[in-house]
Amino acid sequence: MEKILQVKDLELSFHTFGGEVKAIRGVNFDLYKGETLAIVGESGSGKSVTTKSIMRLLPEATSEFKNGEILFGGRDLTKLSDKEMQKIRGKDISMIFQDPMTSLNPTMPIGRQITEPILKHQKIGKDEAKKVAIDLLRLVGMPKPELRMKQYPHQFSGGQRQRIVIAIALACNPQILIADEPTTALDVTIQAQILELMKDLQKKIDTSIIFITHDLGVVANVADRVAVMYGGKIVEIGTVDEIFYNPQHPYTWGLLSSMPSMDAEDAKLYAIPGTPPDLLDPPKGDAFALRSEYAMKIDMEQPPPFFKVSDTHMAATWLLHPEAPAVEPPEMVIERMKKFPGSRYYEGSAN
Amino acid sequence: MAEKLVEIKNLKQHFNVGKANEVKAVDGISFDIYKGETLGLVGESGCGKSTTGRSIIRLYDATDGQVLYEGESVHGKKNKKDLKKFNRKMQMIFQDPYASLNQRMKVMDIIAEGIDIHGLAKDANDRKKMVYDLLETVGLNKEHANRYPHEFSGGQRQRLGIARALAVDPDFIIADEPISALDVSIQAQVVNLLKELQEEKGLTYLFIAHDLSMVKYISDRIGVMYFGKLVELAPADELYENPMHPYTQSLLSAIPLPDPNYERNRTRKAYDPAVHNYTDADDVKMREVSPNHFVNCSEKEFAELQERMAAKK
Repeated sequence: MEKILQVKDLELSFHTFGGEVKAIRGVNFDLYKGETLAIVGESGSGKSVTTKSIMRLLPEATSEFKNGEILFGGRDLTKLSDKEMQKIRGKDISMIFQDPMTSLNPTMPIGRQITEPILKHQKIGKDEAKKVAIDLLRLVGMPKPELRMKQYPHQFSGGQRQRIVIAIALACNPQILIADEPTTALDVTIQAQILELMKDLQKKIDTSIIFITHDLGVVANVADRVAVMYGGKIVEIGTVDEIFYNPQHPYTWGLLSSMPSMDAEDAKLYAIPGTPPDLLDPPKGDAFALRSEYAMKIDMEQPPPFFKVSDTHMAATWLLHPEAPAVEPPEMVIERMKKFPGSRYYEGSAN
Repeated sequence: MAEKLVEIKNLKQHFNVGKANEVKAVDGISFDIYKGETLGLVGESGCGKSTTGRSIIRLYDATDGQVLYEGESVHGKKNKKDLKKFNRKMQMIFQDPYASLNQRMKVMDIIAEGIDIHGLAKDANDRKKMVYDLLETVGLNKEHANRYPHEFSGGQRQRLGIARALAVDPDFIIADEPISALDVSIQAQVVNLLKELQEEKGLTYLFIAHDLSMVKYISDRIGVMYFGKLVELAPADELYENPMHPYTQSLLSAIPLPDPNYERNRTRKAYDPAVHNYTDADDVKMREVSPNHFVNCSEKEFAELQERMAAKK
């Protein structure tokens, strides 16, 4: 499969009064053409910062690329000038944010907001751009698009606003669409509609999507592959089935166990103890070790490298080291592993 | 049958009454909340679930209908003393722990505000001790009392909101989307805390949320709201296993679960209110289809639902 974006050894820091916050500490991943890669993790894990650094949306005065590169179309995005970056942003790579009200301009009719990137990036006239915009609105399922072009954001509901934001993001047929918690502010029913819309559009225009969310239900719904982030690093990456049915990292175990399942009895919910690491002074070894009941001595001293689980599945935990003792994952995770061929708990295809 | 703590009778909350933009946020709903239970209230935004909570605790004056707390009406004219009595028994936890805590007060004073108003502390030392105890109850420690809200993370702030609600030793807590703004792992911590407190203190909760999987986990019974009306009310498991109102079915079919195989096969049902084909002659109201399972339906639909129930058995 064709790699459309490569993030290599990315390290990024913020300079604050308190000192240097190492927000991203060596992130590697590839994005393939036409796939959806979900990035999950808790607040402060670096998932948003990673994507914002791809878009170069971080404040230049306080943020600094320490190392690594972001390769897109043969060029390293971290080294481009602002002008060159402007030609890519909104055209080749575009972004959808969580809150559609703040990402739209409240004083501008939505028609003008949709034609803005078209006029900027494509050599076509105003009238034609308008036609494209109307088509886009129709594409995202907006009724009476001609009429609605003249209306302002406050005249739309939350779900409609997010559709408009998607229309703007897709205006120039981007190769990569970054969606940062696009449905978190929406209701389940509206969320379902937006997710269906995004999947539908992805098929039509063959975009690659990076989908950031902390809702694992949404991940299971949209993702082809999943990257789990913790403490500024990717700790596990694999196909959606591998992450949900054969997770290897204790943090992934914790995340999956803390979701109530629909058929759960009244047992206590599993809550990952403690709080995320302080990235002003990141832990020396495995960042998750202090919160993990599976931590070993080496976890406190050396950060684990990636261990290969399969061709598509990698996890950074010392538990996968050949000399590590075998441990039992939490019960909820074992239940999941029973469904995965290749896992040591697999129970066959009988169920 | 358990004892009724709160009775909501035909509660209506209309805004801009008499104007062109009149909104019937809550339009005649009735239900009871029993002592010691957790009643979940779900529905999409704008369905009136938060307004219901706020009307019950008298943040709004109800347009019509009654809220009875232990048999006494909450609304209507009250002198200060009576009001205080209600305010002590009923407390609220809000969604946004950033907006619901005064940024310029120290945690000590935020939590002690209710204690001061109701004169619950004997002296300054007693007040301090009460706050320390409350902080410990919610899993923080006493060093936190001298800090300001901005020094806390989202989950910790929600703990502060809970401590503040507990300060006056209430019996009934309305939690309006208390976990929606929190991360998954932190959500679990807060939900566990709420459950523990309920067991310890015998609290009664009205839990308002749109995250249906969490609601099912925490609630004993669940009410589903749609456009200002209650459309279904049933024990939590029963509602999920056997949803009867088409809106409830649609809502349940929209929840994504953390299970890729299930997600590949899930089909979403859309809800169209036109399916009911109600005419003016239809008497649409809550009817008990099976024990404790109420559905908002017409006479005809009621008969159909009962038939379906019988066929299942």
